[in-house]
Amino acid sequence: MVTVIDYGLGNIFSVVKAFEMIGADVQVSSDASDIRSADHLVLPGVGAFADGMQFLHDKDLDTVLTEEVVQNKKPFLGICLGLQLLAEIGQEHGEHKGLGWIPGKVQVLDTGDEPLKIPHVGWNNLEMTQDNPLFTDIHKDSDFYFVHSYQLHCTDPKDCIATTTYGETITAAIWHDNIFATQFHPEKSQDAGLKLLENFLSYSH
Amino acid sequence: MKRCSKCVMCETQDMISFDEEGICATCRQLEYKDDVINWDERKVEFEELLKDYRGKGSYDCIIPFSGGKDSTFAALALVRDFNLKPLVVSFDHGFYRPMILENTERAIRKLGVDYMRFKSDWQVVKKLMRESLIRKGDIMWHSHCGIFAYPMQIAVKHKIPLIIWGEQTSEYVSYYSYEEKEQVDEKRFNRVVNLGINAEDMVGMLDGSVTMRDLEPYTYPNLKDLRSIKYRSICLGTYVPWDTKKQSERIHEELGWKGDNVEGIPYDRYWYEKIEDGFQGIQDYLKWLKRGMSRMTHLASIDIRNGRMTREEGMEMVEKYEGFRPASLDVFLKALDMTDEEFHEIALKHVVSPHVPPDWRTLPRGPELPDQKDWSINFDIE
Amino acid sequence: MLKVRLIPTLLLLDGRMIKTKQFGEYRDVGNPRTVAKVYDAQGVDELIFLDITATDENRHFIFDIIAAVAEECFIPLTVGGGIRTLEQAHEILTHGADKVAINTAASERPEFITEIAKKFGNSTVVVSIDYKKNAEGNNEVFTHRGTKPTGRDPVEWAKEAESLGAGEILLTCIDQEGMMNGYDLVVLKSVTSAVKIPVTASGGVGTIQDLVDGIVEGGASAVSAASIFHFTDQSIFKAHSHMKEKGLSVRKKM
Repeated sequence: MVTVIDYGLGNIFSVVKAFEMIGADVQVSSDASDIRSADHLVLPGVGAFADGMQFLHDKDLDTVLTEEVVQNKKPFLGICLGLQLLAEIGQEHGEHKGLGWIPGKVQVLDTGDEPLKIPHVGWNNLEMTQDNPLFTDIHKDSDFYFVHSYQLHCTDPKDCIATTTYGETITAAIWHDNIFATQFHPEKSQDAGLKLLENFLSYSH
Repeated sequence: MKRCSKCVMCETQDMISFDEEGICATCRQLEYKDDVINWDERKVEFEELLKDYRGKGSYDCIIPFSGGKDSTFAALALVRDFNLKPLVVSFDHGFYRPMILENTERAIRKLGVDYMRFKSDWQVVKKLMRESLIRKGDIMWHSHCGIFAYPMQIAVKHKIPLIIWGEQTSEYVSYYSYEEKEQVDEKRFNRVVNLGINAEDMVGMLDGSVTMRDLEPYTYPNLKDLRSIKYRSICLGTYVPWDTKKQSERIHEELGWKGDNVEGIPYDRYWYEKIEDGFQGIQDYLKWLKRGMSRMTHLASIDIRNGRMTREEGMEMVEKYEGFRPASLDVFLKALDMTDEEFHEIALKHVVSPHVPPDWRTLPRGPELPDQKDWSINFDIE
Repeated sequence: MLKVRLIPTLLLLDGRMIKTKQFGEYRDVGNPRTVAKVYDAQGVDELIFLDITATDENRHFIFDIIAAVAEECFIPLTVGGGIRTLEQAHEILTHGADKVAINTAASERPEFITEIAKKFGNSTVVVSIDYKKNAEGNNEVFTHRGTKPTGRDPVEWAKEAESLGAGEILLTCIDQEGMMNGYDLVVLKSVTSAVKIPVTASGGVGTIQDLVDGIVEGGASAVSAASIFHFTDQSIFKAHSHMKEKGLSVRKKM
């Protein structure tokens, strides 16, 4: 059973449908019992860092998730905001504490001198920086759909398994033990995205 | 207007591209086919795949069948070389010619297979042909859809999960590459089969004159139903190399399959080509009006790629056989109660740049096919 | 590298897809759910659904359509047309849409942009701007499907929308819409130069070259079209190929 965590943010419908399309049993929940009984956990999300943390905290999800994921090593996939919240600190509209599972800071995109549009919206391709099981059998030139204005800078470069380029190098995907997360939206990245979700489901700790 | 510097395909062909040497992607791709695919490996893979289906249920697979050379070869190979028990399914678009029906009869009796043929409502077909011509400059929407959707419906209804088609599309369009193992599924239906129009679209476009029940034969089954039978829709051409000339000779020898005259191409060289559709000549003529090339260009290109013709010979054939107004157009116009002017006015709205067609009124009329008066359509328009 | 996006606009009326000319006469061009699947099969980048259904009774069609599309097409979906309240925006987003496009409601009450941005995120808000030449020959923003003048200039309004929290702009030239004569590149360039958020150009595409011009000369991040996909031989696949041939960075067919 895949449990997609509902904390009030993001397009959960598409995440659910994507998992259904690849044949998984999936439920949407914010109940501690559903989180504990899940085989795989997914944290989606679109919106502000502070709001995300607030909603998780209001529903006590931060505690339950940390138990299940960090301690009990349940396979976990964070998407978009769900990746950023894993950081220690988020610097969107002030400084806020994140879940702290991945050492690093979330900061605004720095496109440098280039007149690039913000947010980073659209399809972009990736560079793999570490071997990993998340991108197995996915063509190396595949594009994935991004829509964000902030990124997670990993303190430990080994946590970052894929990057993309938009003015600067952006953390596109991370992997630490049983914890996976993508800045892009696999549920909006057509076949490549669906394959990634399949790979996540095949991962067993 | 440019043609490929190796074969003779025109730049107006859908999704064609030429590289720096002016060679088209299809020519380039066939280089891959000969060099890189290990056909022995593919055959072994196919045998492994078939183990999951052989002997299970009432039938091992469905073979969608038109009676043309490709589906007849597929039936022959699957029954005699691979020992399968198929349900052979034909979608009848309404203008199968007498020879193809004879060939079908001979093939199914000699091979020994269960066979079903479904013919859809001709009055509805006429409306669809007209709308298809208007929307896309193509009269065969109902045929394209019926051929690919109907066998899938039978698969669901009769719970036969394996559907085996004939050749891969990569033989002649550059949309799919040889590296891919083509799945004949809904995505493919939407990409290259239905002209971008589904039954659910057509019902609104025809504005109340047909219902979804009328259009059921052309409706692709929904994914949930297909998944419930664990469907698998593949091409025989993924696992065996496709050689139409050799295959045509084989079906002729083993099943008595006979060719026929077709408008716009020479019989002696292409006796096996596209003999099934009475309106093929019109469809090819439409392509010629829109794109400046027709079946002769297509066949010459294949022959050139396979080393059976030089490019000069190809261009000569093109000049000799293309550019005729087909005699069969008279039958079509009568069936649809349409005038020559109307037909051409609609067709010319779909010209693909940079082609500029000549004045259609000046075109010579092509010779009438000997069996034209025997077509079953005549039962409707007499 | 970030790819340029090709985003067909699907105009909906009472649950059917239609195509208009200069926001006027229209033709039935299909069932939105199956048309979306065709575009998806051809590798389209995103889809925009604009519901121009006039009455409130018929608004429910869009929810079912979006949910049905989101079940099988895993690409970003933007929905617009008569969205006036946070509840409506929420309903659309929970049915599988990723972004809402607001037009009339934003012009009449600009704070609405900020409200949606705060609740759902800036990236979910697309401000849709329709404009045409008014009686004096100046470009003016019109609402209510091109019938009500607002007194606003499209460039100024785009800047204001950005400052209020819009994530993207969808810019449509009413005079060009359905005419297949190309985008209004002059105004497009003015808008894309004036804002830092992505702009999608809409209205007027007649040839695939027009799409290229929208990006290269107009500075758009994404290009939208409708007529060429319904009334000509063009397909998403061909459009991408041509754009690639012209040196634009587009998604590769996998």
